Amino acid sequence: MAIGEEKNFINLINEHQGLIHKVCIMYENDRDARNDLFQEIVLQLWKSFSSFRGEAKITTWMYRIALNTAISGFRKQTRHIKTEDLQEVHMNISDSWGDEQEENFQKLQWAIRQLSEIERAMIMMALEEVAYEDIAETIGITQNNVRVRMNRIREKIRKLMLP
Amino acid sequence: MELDELKNIWKSNEPGYTLKGEEELAIMLKGNSRSIISKLKRSVWFELTLTVGVGIALLVYSLTLPSGAMKWTSIFLLMLVAYSFYYVKKLTLLNQFESTHENIRANLEKLIDNLTSYLKFYKRSYAILYPIYFFLGLFFIALERGTSEFIILLKQPRTIITLIGLAVFFFICSTWLTSWYLKKLYGNHLDKLNALLKDLKSDQSVVS
Repeated sequence: MAIGEEKNFINLINEHQGLIHKVCIMYENDRDARNDLFQEIVLQLWKSFSSFRGEAKITTWMYRIALNTAISGFRKQTRHIKTEDLQEVHMNISDSWGDEQEENFQKLQWAIRQLSEIERAMIMMALEEVAYEDIAETIGITQNNVRVRMNRIREKIRKLMLP
Repeated sequence: MELDELKNIWKSNEPGYTLKGEEELAIMLKGNSRSIISKLKRSVWFELTLTVGVGIALLVYSLTLPSGAMKWTSIFLLMLVAYSFYYVKKLTLLNQFESTHENIRANLEKLIDNLTSYLKFYKRSYAILYPIYFFLGLFFIALERGTSEFIILLKQPRTIITLIGLAVFFFICSTWLTSWYLKKLYGNHLDKLNALLKDLKSDQSVVS
């Protein structure tokens, strides 16, 4: 690919790299695995960049590739932290949380990680203000289905975040 | 708890990450993919190159043999063509795996189809290759002992029973070993993909 195209791509990633980092945080537990996933997502985006014709929003396109790579990408299996381990971590963190805002944020992150991989993708996009229409397009389900699932996810998170 | 409340909590803090610099991003583009599929592809390319290299060397060597040049050249040529076809087919199937530009559901369906086809091809090729190896073994014994002596040996009931027993034993062992190996390598991943797709489909039918 041309140097100009590479430059454009790097600028694009630079502008939206927060999106990729957030996907990595949602799907990988340790830093090395997150870095590997970040690179893998960037490579997959780069492979598809030339075929991106602007039919979808750039962020929708990025979410689709990033989430596909994170959810179904056949990468090395990393050790998954058991729910009990996370519960323990959650309890330990709770003891040392000082600020309420920070505490709620940590609880929310922990609760999201308890959800299924598809649910994680959906709530992450919703929290990032992605429209239901775009969530439906990214996941491949109807908007109605997104609404039903989002209610269920919200309820699960509420229960998980209860003290 | 409403979604807006969750959004407020989410926006109150940014998850901890360090932004990558432009140079770091540029280096990433030069790197190789670390996905298992990419590793598999690199490994198949290596095996294909090695097979072609060794195959050509053996062909050249067999052509210079003082006796049986035609026979050995034909065997090596046959094996070279068969293995090249095997690796090219494997690469073709592996190339279909990476299609992350589609939506998650379509991508899952495609991945499941491709992985299932890949596993079927893997199993079938081994189911075909093992009997070929077995008969090639017999063929080499016949060449060593002389065809007429070998045919006399083959007519004995004890030899027939031993050969059938060995063939069945090797076929069962190799089939079981291949299935176990494939299940260990790809089974969990395929199960995970199927579970994700089932989850997506089941909800869709309830809503509609």
